[in-house]
Amino acid sequence: MSQTLHRLVYLSRNEMIGTTEEIAAEVQRILAVSRRRNFSAGITGALMFNAGCFAQVLEGRLAAVSDTFERIQRDPRHSDVSVLEFEPISARSFPDWSMAYVGQNDRSDAILSTLAGLGSIDAAALRASSVLENLEQIVRDEDALIAVG
Amino acid sequence: MSHGLLVDIEPSGAAGGASDAGKIGEASRHHDPLTGLPDRRWLHQALANCGAVPVALLLVDLDRFKAVNDTLGHPVGDQLLCKVVERMRSVIRTSDLIVRLGGDEFAILQHTDASIEGARAIATRLVDLVGRAYLIDGHLVNIGASVGIATREAGDPAGEGDGDQLLRRADLALYRAKAAGRGCYRLFSTDMEQEAQARRQLEMDMRRAVALRQFVLEYQPQFTLAGRRLRGFEALLRWNHPTHGRMEPNDFIPLAEETGLVVGIGDWVIRTACQTAAQWPAPMTVAVNVSPAQLAPGLVDRVATALSRSGLPANRLEIEITETALFGNPETVLAVLGRLKALGVRIAMDDFGTGCSSLGHLRSFPFDRIKIDRSFVMDMITNPSAAAIVRAVTMLGHTLGFETTAEGVEEFAHLAALAGIGCTDVQGFALGRPLAADSLTALLLENDCSEASA
Repeated sequence: MSQTLHRLVYLSRNEMIGTTEEIAAEVQRILAVSRRRNFSAGITGALMFNAGCFAQVLEGRLAAVSDTFERIQRDPRHSDVSVLEFEPISARSFPDWSMAYVGQNDRSDAILSTLAGLGSIDAAALRASSVLENLEQIVRDEDALIAVG
Repeated sequence: MSHGLLVDIEPSGAAGGASDAGKIGEASRHHDPLTGLPDRRWLHQALANCGAVPVALLLVDLDRFKAVNDTLGHPVGDQLLCKVVERMRSVIRTSDLIVRLGGDEFAILQHTDASIEGARAIATRLVDLVGRAYLIDGHLVNIGASVGIATREAGDPAGEGDGDQLLRRADLALYRAKAAGRGCYRLFSTDMEQEAQARRQLEMDMRRAVALRQFVLEYQPQFTLAGRRLRGFEALLRWNHPTHGRMEPNDFIPLAEETGLVVGIGDWVIRTACQTAAQWPAPMTVAVNVSPAQLAPGLVDRVATALSRSGLPANRLEIEITETALFGNPETVLAVLGRLKALGVRIAMDDFGTGCSSLGHLRSFPFDRIKIDRSFVMDMITNPSAAAIVRAVTMLGHTLGFETTAEGVEEFAHLAALAGIGCTDVQGFALGRPLAADSLTALLLENDCSEASA
């Protein structure tokens, strides 16, 4: 079981305080560390961030997803982690990305503010599909613009 | 994490002259093999060795851990405990100590630069971090943490060297955190000690209240709605406390349930209600409230004995339970209710609409009656949604073959409204307040005459 591919999608609230530049730099540090770790653990996925929220997709072997998730849960830079989806998958949605990053733009703002406005139960009821589909779409569209992970 | 920083407060047996081998032996005897944390005895010794330095003690209780163990098994529970300890370690300072006190109980001892503010900050982080979801063996697991904090100032004359008092105080604060709904922390304050003392006193008073005949039953009339005919009474418990005066169930039943005293008191209620009702000049029913803790297999024999000793026919006794009775162990409770029903006793669902009001509960047992909670009945004239709920429950009762009693009928206007929707029975101040057993016999004789002359 620990070898099967799983995907986990969560939404959380940003707890970082600082100027836009300081927070942007901190997010870059988070990405750099996560890409390094994910690469060696065989984790792929995407992170979406705006001033209020994180949404992240993690995919990989169950044991690696569990370890990564536990590390994320212990991170004080966010809170109120709601798991929107956690299930076995047959194929990765972000096979080429250690951690694709979608920063603040109109589309990510629209998704995150919709999700943040919902209670966690409602958000889970979306079955994470909108997060996932939107992330996939944005990453595809902006492929050229995003630094390769 | 090494405990090397704690050498200064290390229990004396493990420090100083003992050989290394001796130290290891000593340490492993006081350490939990699963988490590697020191245990309760170790904490006692560490507290005793703290001397006069300021100390903060946080007691941490995991909420819903037992449910995880029961549903996912002990291997998952053990992995969960290890992850909880890792998260706790990520929250504390290197000089703080974590101790495993028992299955799902931990303590954190701060003995360096301890302060109330520091302890609060750690408690806030602990409640947050431990309460975040865990991913174990492919299961998403959610638990919570409740925390009680007690601190000891430097040179505090009340507490120096007395670890027991600090533990007791942290425990009272933890009790408060749990009572406040869990998933939070509480800081000890002296009023908690006073309240605990008052609770202990009330418990002692309650232990002898049956013997001293301080409990009495009052009987509130219940009427059929169609004929406005008196059909029976609900027995209501009152405690004539020697110093607090007259107390209602809400003032003491929660403590009786917590201490288990409710079983003995409940037996007295059943015996007394049966004896009293058996002497009524008319064959009225008597309804008795039964607490979830009473619904164990032994109840059936005690009810059967109360019926046979009093001579009350079983069909004149109605046992009222609330939905919460079905939360803990529904199989046992349903079996007990089934055996009571087999005796001929009638079973009513009390306060319907206020608990989780699961329709599954109504289907799980052939109840004889649903009692619609007073909060809906009292508002039904002014609040259309309250009226809609009363109507819906009444219809449900009608369809499922239950009688329905509207409680809290305080105005005559309610009667017309209830009659319009087919409710079968009513109870409330508009129709009759609870009466002492003596005045009730007089009422029954009078009632008998009026019916005879009608």
